[in-house]
Amino acid sequence: MNLFSWLRPASPVLADDLQRRLGKLPVIRDLSECSLREQRWVVLDLETTGLNLNKDRVLSIGAVVIEDGAIDFGQQFERTLQCRELKVSPSVLIHGLGPNAIAAGSEPAEALVDLLEFMGNSPVLAFHAPFDQHMLGRAMKEHLGHKLQQVFLDVADIAPLVCPQAHIREAGLDDWINWFRLDVFERHHASADALATAELALILFSRARQQQIHSPLNLQQRLSQWKRRQQTHSF
Amino acid sequence: MSKADAFTQAGKTAVLQNIQGTLQFLQRFPPFNQMEHAHLAYLVEQCQLRFYGQGESIIKPADGPVEHFYIVKQGRVVGERPHTAKGGTETTFEITTGECFPLAALLGERATRTEHLAGEDTFCLQLNKLAFIKLFALSNTFRDFALRGVSSLLDQVNQQVQQKAVETLGTQYSLNTRLGELAMRHPVTCSPTTALREAVKLMHEQQVGSIVAVDEHKAPLGIFTLRDLRHVVAEGIGDFNDPIERHMTPSPFYLSPDHSAFDAAIAMTERHIAHVCLVKEQRLCGVVSERDLFSLQRVDLVHLARTIRSAQRVEQLVNLRGEIGQLVERMLAHGASSTQITHIITLLNDHTVCRVIELTLADKGDPGVPFSWLCFGSEGRREQTLHTDQDNGILFEARDAAHAAEIRGKLLPIAQQINNSLAQCGFTLCKGNVMAGNPQLCLSRAEWARRFAAFIREATPENLLGSSIYFDLRVVWGDEQGCAQLRRGILDQVGDNRLFQRMMAENALRNRPPVGRFREFVLTKKNGEKATLDLKIQGLTPFVDGARLLALANGIDANNTLERFRQLVNKDVIDRLDGAAYEEAYHFIQQTRLQQHQLQTRENLPYSNRVDPDSLNHLDRRILRESLRQAQRLQSSLTVRYQL
Repeated sequence: MNLFSWLRPASPVLADDLQRRLGKLPVIRDLSECSLREQRWVVLDLETTGLNLNKDRVLSIGAVVIEDGAIDFGQQFERTLQCRELKVSPSVLIHGLGPNAIAAGSEPAEALVDLLEFMGNSPVLAFHAPFDQHMLGRAMKEHLGHKLQQVFLDVADIAPLVCPQAHIREAGLDDWINWFRLDVFERHHASADALATAELALILFSRARQQQIHSPLNLQQRLSQWKRRQQTHSF
Repeated sequence: MSKADAFTQAGKTAVLQNIQGTLQFLQRFPPFNQMEHAHLAYLVEQCQLRFYGQGESIIKPADGPVEHFYIVKQGRVVGERPHTAKGGTETTFEITTGECFPLAALLGERATRTEHLAGEDTFCLQLNKLAFIKLFALSNTFRDFALRGVSSLLDQVNQQVQQKAVETLGTQYSLNTRLGELAMRHPVTCSPTTALREAVKLMHEQQVGSIVAVDEHKAPLGIFTLRDLRHVVAEGIGDFNDPIERHMTPSPFYLSPDHSAFDAAIAMTERHIAHVCLVKEQRLCGVVSERDLFSLQRVDLVHLARTIRSAQRVEQLVNLRGEIGQLVERMLAHGASSTQITHIITLLNDHTVCRVIELTLADKGDPGVPFSWLCFGSEGRREQTLHTDQDNGILFEARDAAHAAEIRGKLLPIAQQINNSLAQCGFTLCKGNVMAGNPQLCLSRAEWARRFAAFIREATPENLLGSSIYFDLRVVWGDEQGCAQLRRGILDQVGDNRLFQRMMAENALRNRPPVGRFREFVLTKKNGEKATLDLKIQGLTPFVDGARLLALANGIDANNTLERFRQLVNKDVIDRLDGAAYEEAYHFIQQTRLQQHQLQTRENLPYSNRVDPDSLNHLDRRILRESLRQAQRLQSSLTVRYQL
């Protein structure tokens, strides 16, 4: 047992209805052999107070859904989380969420349960997914005492995997948007970034199919092979 | 979900950032920029965003009835159709950011006729058919757009679809209305042996202007109208116990209930009748009167035609010209098509010409020689607009050259007076002197035949120009036999003369439609004025010339450009889809030209065929561009056909 665990607040006490809703969530399974098109995907982006994995907090969540191979405008998720102890920091300038917007946001536990229901058992796509996965995982644990189990795939990895000809190292979302000459709407809030990421993902899926990557499982396997290769290269 | 719920829902989601972003994107393009916010939000919320890699098929004929409406968010969609003549495929249209497809197939509930492919990496917003229908019903702006899109070339349309859509969607009715729908009440009928008194009593009771005598199978035998009653009374036939068959007009003219109001108006104008029987499977099922048409459109076409034919002096005809202008104005306002309008103008012009000839003959005395009055050019093709030159000539029969010269001597003074009277009536004197008063155009049949044969034999530039005017000849007044023989002669000679056809084809390529390789208009600037294009010469002439060449080369005896295309399709000379596309394009350019003329008249500007594409709205501009592209396709098909 961690020495400092007694310093942390105990597992959060959840309202009954939230507890009930958590209990009804579907079981998360491994990726399957169905086609890329048949798979429902959730594309996610977070705004956080900063980039520190252990200290910073989730401010807002935007997510869209890719279903039947297309982005479905009827299924969108957008929440700003209430966050009392927030200090105004320079990152306000980036995410544009002022203290007022955040104070007016949703109750975090409720918003996170909403998100879990929205995600269901679909795999999650995000740009620099490990960051979002970690931040979201922490928030889930803190507010819900719930373990985030969804499979995350990193679009920042899929892109160079299926477009090796791009030769952009350490490319950010903007680099890939430029590379594919994507016209994206106004960016830099979680929803718009999620949508841009989703549009990127549609292109990448189309390229993946051309490279005989047909199922989500297949994609996951090719990704880990590719990452291993990258690591051997760099050492 | 109820409609109201759907909108509350849409209202809520409209705050979502991404919906907002897409809304703002769509608001840059028609018709979305004019749609109500709630409708637009509903549209976006129902949309899916789909990606198509370059070359990927989006929809194709084999997919069956179209299930989605698409808006291009980014990229380029091209229409590809198998090329019948050359094999392979050709691009028939391009659709780019903010534009939609496939409207005609969607409204017609059929498969698309053209495969739509991604010309480059493309994102499309995709709306399911149910949501499309709902929007179509809710948003006037969207509905108008969808219907106009259908009449445009954006989607290789057939007009039937539009007409049907207009009918079922209850938009304002027009001259295209089926007669069956106009003749609401049952026709008043009697037997041929009914006494006159009884028949008139029936008419009076039923408040109608006509009664139809029918046999036991309801087949019409004759019609008796108030006009006939006037005759009976005026002639002082006292016995109203006579059977009606003695006074009725036997074998009355009839149309089927599927004919259009326009057909009835034309029939009444041509035949000077005020009632048209509707007959289906040999049974009378209705009567349409002049008044039914009036109440429909207030188009006093029939009245006008009758006034022209009974005018007593040329001055009266001059006054009536103004009324023709007003009639055209009203018809345009009521949404009549350019084909209908040019047809009506031609019809009224024909009446005017006939009346002028009759009045002149009454004035100068009958020369005692039968002759036919010919017309050429647009009048010959029945494609006249209000602003029109005289292009006419005289045809008569003569034994030999000396006889011909003698007759010419008698006819020329009459012809010159006719030309002058027509000029008074607003038919501008022809600058090139292509007029019957010119001795070179007042010829016997043998002389005309020689002249035409020379055109075909010696293809000089003047002769080619001549053939493009004279070979569209027809008779306006007088016997039609001689002219028909001349036309047959032309068809035989042109059909056999491949060299002449080739020269005509080269001639048909002179006027290039002003669209560039890269989708924009190529405009001419004159003395620092705004850049414009000529709708007649650069837009219509390529179609007219192409249709004439193909018709003459393939033995088709029609003059009208659209009729020529139709017959060329029937003869498999041109592809059915191409024919429809040419027709549609021609139609649109002519419509734009007429609207342009009306606008100029209203603003007291000199009349001109030049138009500045920037003065058109976004949609019209785009349709015009596509129409001109069709002219380009027709020309390139001639290049292939005649190996130019």
